[in-house]
Amino acid sequence: MTGAEDSLAREQSRRELLARMGTGLVAITVDTAFGQLTPARARARGAPLRNLDAAEGRTLEALGEVLLPGAAEAGIAHFVDDQLSRENPMLLLKYLDFTTAYADFYKQGLRSLERVSQARFQTSFLQLQPGQKTALVREMSQKDPAAWTGPPAPLFFFVIRNDAVDVYYGTPQGFEKLGIPYMAHILPPQKW
Amino acid sequence: MEKVDVAIVGSGAAGSLFAANLAQKGKKVVILEAGPERAMGDLVSSQIWSRRLKWGGPPTDSAGKDPLSVNFASGWGTGGSAMHHYANWFRLHPEDFEMKTRFERGLDWPFSYDELRPFYDRIQVEVGISGDAAKEVWRPAVAPYPMPPLQSFAQGALIARGFAKLGLRTSPLPMAINSVEYKGRAACVYDGWCDAGCPIYALANPLTIYLPQALKAGATILHHSFATRVLTRTEGDRATGVEYFDAQGQRQVQEASVVVLAAYAFQIPRLLLNSRPGGLANSSGLVGRYMMAHAGGNVFGLFKEDTQNYLGMTGGQLLSQESYAKDPAKGFLSASQWMIGNALKPNDLLGIVNARPDLFGSELHDFLRTAGKHLATMTFLGEALPNPDNRMVLAGGKDKYGFPLARVTHDFGPDDIKSFEAGMKQGQEIFKAAGAYEVWAGGRVQIHTMGGAIMGRRPETSVTNPYGQTHDVSNLFVAGSSLFPTSGGVNPTFTIHALALRSAEYLIQNWSSLV
Repeated sequence: MTGAEDSLAREQSRRELLARMGTGLVAITVDTAFGQLTPARARARGAPLRNLDAAEGRTLEALGEVLLPGAAEAGIAHFVDDQLSRENPMLLLKYLDFTTAYADFYKQGLRSLERVSQARFQTSFLQLQPGQKTALVREMSQKDPAAWTGPPAPLFFFVIRNDAVDVYYGTPQGFEKLGIPYMAHILPPQKW
Repeated sequence: MEKVDVAIVGSGAAGSLFAANLAQKGKKVVILEAGPERAMGDLVSSQIWSRRLKWGGPPTDSAGKDPLSVNFASGWGTGGSAMHHYANWFRLHPEDFEMKTRFERGLDWPFSYDELRPFYDRIQVEVGISGDAAKEVWRPAVAPYPMPPLQSFAQGALIARGFAKLGLRTSPLPMAINSVEYKGRAACVYDGWCDAGCPIYALANPLTIYLPQALKAGATILHHSFATRVLTRTEGDRATGVEYFDAQGQRQVQEASVVVLAAYAFQIPRLLLNSRPGGLANSSGLVGRYMMAHAGGNVFGLFKEDTQNYLGMTGGQLLSQESYAKDPAKGFLSASQWMIGNALKPNDLLGIVNARPDLFGSELHDFLRTAGKHLATMTFLGEALPNPDNRMVLAGGKDKYGFPLARVTHDFGPDDIKSFEAGMKQGQEIFKAAGAYEVWAGGRVQIHTMGGAIMGRRPETSVTNPYGQTHDVSNLFVAGSSLFPTSGGVNPTFTIHALALRSAEYLIQNWSSLV
């Protein structure tokens, strides 16, 4: 059976689809040593990262937390890390026509953030005071800070900010936090 | 691999229509689709998951002052980019076909609106379009729509109030989305997931009509089949088939009497340029030139009312083409339109989050909570005049199959920018008149992709003839928006269908002289 014929055969009636609207929990999941988990649960269970190293993961969480408080607990590092293993990642970075390896984009950006923090404050980005973090991130949103050597800082800001929103608000639970009806047609193939 | 009558590269809007028409006439057809197989059940309602539908093949280096959007605009898998298109289906206007003749700017199409009109008309009935012909006063001469307009919601009504106060007219958007059940296909349920792919057959993506027709008539589709070259006999004047690489990375050759290139507008020039030193079908030197995009942008406003911005269609609810006429007195020639009241989701490139890309931290949370209920937006779509220097070339680096990657450079011209700036100014005035308490304009973006293998009457000034048949290789056809000599100021998919139907029938009628 071909794809289109199969799709016709598998097509559910509109009534069935309507019945499912608003009742489904469309998820994003990550593959971990503990099986498929949501990014938040993967983080809570301490699932090791597979593409980013632990320090990069911590920096990504710290940056995500500045960009959207709650993004760290929602599992931004595990979401990004898992997507970097996939042949056709579902990261917003894809839309920016970045032509080199996606993992390099993240690694170079995170290392650059650490480098700037060390050069400017003689300490890790993780250890900065909230006001220092906010000021540095605001600068990143507009230009490359001095000593920045990664991808363009405003681009890096844009991508990580969107990753944070994806993982925090891009799910039925996230929509619910905003009071927006999710109204799913179809559930994803993966389980929680 | 057994020789077939027709090998079609790409299973999107043009490829699926070509395949259906040729297979129904008894031709043995194979479609080579670069991406994976997708069925309706794969169209998950999620802006994150929707990214699977976008280009996942070799990258294109997009350069210039206004880089074209490659991965976001292109498709990946069954149905190509039409699987994630918003189904805003417009006809080009008569003056769009005669830009050079009427205004001494740009290029002419090699035929008039009247010549394409019957194909628009037939597609309109076969696919089904919802709209209100009486209210769409700017519309070229044509039969009424086969379906009543789609519903509009609070967001559309609020913005329309601003248009009305300024004496500007609006109408329902014409959309290839069912407002009522049509030919056994369900009506829209207004959940705003168009960008993620509509799985209920309400939106006319290739899985709704033409691919099922093609497969029923005996066409075959091969997924994970990445076309790398059109093969020719030594002289380069006859295509013999298509070279492609399968899911296992093995080189394959599909021999064919006729080859149709119906991939997205970035891949067609690349394929031609990679097929032969100097490019295949490139005696004009125009393969890869005249790459175009619409100059687009959004105006945003916050209203005290609940805008219900989660309801409706991604492409919008209402239309205004009050600025479409190509009037040099405006100070620019580019036509434009407003698509009003786009359904919004919190995340993704076009999501609420990027209405204010400067915000972060608690301010971003606050904005998303407010905007989720009170944001309204409309999309400006402006014509870009053709420029041969907006061009794709082969660049450094190779894909995993060993073929050169492409670089495309694109700058908008002065008319395009003036049109966009006038639009953003007007849009903010409209939102203020509508009563928004906060109004702002987003940045300029590049929407859709056209050109790169343009059609025309003369082999010196175009790549193909008016039917998409390449001037240099008589059994090689191009289909899709690559053919467009100008962009017009409307979304291209309806025109892509009309052109493909016209070309497919020409191919059938002239079969014996082509093979």
